[in-house]
Amino acid sequence: MDKEYELDLFLQTLINGILIGGILICLTIGFQLTFGVLHVIDFAVGGWTMLGGYTAYWLVTLAGIEPFISIFLVFALFLLIGRGLGPLIYRVRTSRYARPDLMALAFTFGIFLFMRGGALWLWSYNSRSVESVLSGQFLSLGPVTVPLLRLSAFIMAVLFSLGLFILLYRSRFGMAVRALAQNRDHAGLMGVDVKRISAWVYGIYTGLTASAGVLIATIYSVNPTVGIRYTLFAFFVAVLAGLGSVGGVLVAGLALGLLESYVATYIGARYSLLIVFGTLYLALLVAPKGVLGRGI
Amino acid sequence: MSDKFSRRKFLRNSLIGTGAMTLGFPALNVSAQEHKIRCGVVTSLSGANRFGGNLTRRGYDLWAEEINKLGGIEIAGKRYPVEMFYGDAQSRPASGADAAERLIIQDEVDVLFGPYTSGVTLAVQPISQKYRVPMISGSAESPNVWLAKPAFNFGMIPAVDLTTDKSMVVLAEKLGDRAKTASVIGVDEPFSKETAEGFRKGAEEADLEMLSYELFPANSDLSAIVSKLKAANPDIVAVGGHESVFINFVNTAKALNYRPKALIMHYGVTSAAFINETGAESNGILGVSVWTAGLPYKDELFGTASDYSDLSFSRWGTRPDYTEAACSASGLVLQDAARRLGKAPPWDQESRSQLAKAIEETDIETFYGPVGFAKEGSHFHNNTKPVPVVIQIKNGDVVPVAPENAAKGELAYPINEKS
Repeated sequence: MDKEYELDLFLQTLINGILIGGILICLTIGFQLTFGVLHVIDFAVGGWTMLGGYTAYWLVTLAGIEPFISIFLVFALFLLIGRGLGPLIYRVRTSRYARPDLMALAFTFGIFLFMRGGALWLWSYNSRSVESVLSGQFLSLGPVTVPLLRLSAFIMAVLFSLGLFILLYRSRFGMAVRALAQNRDHAGLMGVDVKRISAWVYGIYTGLTASAGVLIATIYSVNPTVGIRYTLFAFFVAVLAGLGSVGGVLVAGLALGLLESYVATYIGARYSLLIVFGTLYLALLVAPKGVLGRGI
Repeated sequence: MSDKFSRRKFLRNSLIGTGAMTLGFPALNVSAQEHKIRCGVVTSLSGANRFGGNLTRRGYDLWAEEINKLGGIEIAGKRYPVEMFYGDAQSRPASGADAAERLIIQDEVDVLFGPYTSGVTLAVQPISQKYRVPMISGSAESPNVWLAKPAFNFGMIPAVDLTTDKSMVVLAEKLGDRAKTASVIGVDEPFSKETAEGFRKGAEEADLEMLSYELFPANSDLSAIVSKLKAANPDIVAVGGHESVFINFVNTAKALNYRPKALIMHYGVTSAAFINETGAESNGILGVSVWTAGLPYKDELFGTASDYSDLSFSRWGTRPDYTEAACSASGLVLQDAARRLGKAPPWDQESRSQLAKAIEETDIETFYGPVGFAKEGSHFHNNTKPVPVVIQIKNGDVVPVAPENAAKGELAYPINEKS
């Protein structure tokens, strides 16, 4: 490969990495919120993503709805599902068991296994992808190709983050959420309805994560087994960001996307997960709280 | 002599009569009942692979129905109907092994027809060997099945490393001077890796320059791989993987404005799901099939490959793929071997061992193509005779394009031109 192509490939890798980062941000931002408030590491995150993808597939194929519009419907649907499930999670998290945090973790893992088993029963291993008006559309910036779908996912991630920021810092609901994140008992004593706010937070999280699933179904494809991969990614982005730090997700998501992209291009895709996770461990040795690990 | 009713005489005569009937009944029964050849089928009727498993069942059943219409398998001038018994592997190797043992011990089958997946086949073949029951596998494609050198298992479909190898050679020959370079990628899991290895071997045999060979984990983001392929721009890109990887590859290539000159894949390209999911993007994509209805093969039971396809369509409502065809052809192998064995069923352990030897000597022509099993080497007991057909998706249709004797349409190259 000559030098001109090498430069093109380097720049293309940069764009690929930033756009992968966008998808990781979409996936992780709700996960961070639910940890910050409920102190639950939700292992069902990949399951919600997968179900979001399949729901979008149904909406697109059965009702002919454009995926980028179906995101709002998927968000609303999973917001309600999560809101309904929220009190149960809260109950497990605040139960009188010796280690309610571990109980909650096991509980969410159980939900994940249930979702995975259900999906296998319903769809076997069949992969589904969703066609958008932006599928196959791209911007040519000189030698670099920017897929519009991935760019949209990136913009969506920025919008999710912005929306969440406004909700958390510019509304009474957000004030209650932040109070809860700082001290649940004190927030309760100050008149915050802890159970209700926690349930809504879990709803917002499931809505956001399922919406990320719509983007994933549009860009890649979904099948019942993809959940574990996205659970791992969400977990590692969250750890690198600093568990509970919504702002840190932006930095960590982009860093992870770029690292994976450059490793896959210049060392080999076979080694990308190995090197990415190895680097994460090293980063955590240096900064155990993550890049912005100060909570909400 | 008095005609007076004697209770003692009545009881004595009744006892003698009943005893005679009881003792004589089995003999009468055996002579009245025709013996059937009991065929066990172990396949995935439930679980993740139930769709493919039911395809194998269709293939085996179609053969059984057709041969029974003639009165059964002819052995030494007499016909013996076949009776099918099923064991559900539930898409799990351990359940497949249990099912096989049950079929052999409880149902006393004379012969087994093999599972849908290679994983289940690997679990079942030691059982067939333990009880010396010959097994004809209409579906397994992993080379590992044959590397284990199974004494009693025989595979109808050439292992995937052989088909991808040959298909690359066939494709390169067809393209001639237009193809000089190739890149191969594949998922880093056994089946896909073997597929990719086969493509690489074929590229080397065809003297193509290998620009790159890369394996990656399943569900990877393929943008880095596609970007590299786009920069290198090989004449042929080959992908080893399953349907979801193909869909991801096609979607990612489309998003990054890359259309390979020739894109060849193997398993899953001909599936309706792949064509539906990729839509117009599937146009021009190449695949490998061991069999198509257009091939010039025939036999006495099913007629031509085309006749078989029509028969299957009228029976099941869908056109058969190569797996279904191979399963039906498994029955033809049993017919031929049983005829040469010349022993009436039921077969004891020694007869079954002789039957396995007869299967090993198979050399027949069928609607599915030539059948003959390797007697040594890394593909021991695998039918290595079929030459894979290179197919191309053209407006949603699967069209054979190479080799010449199978071609039903022109190979469109590069695929970004009109297919």
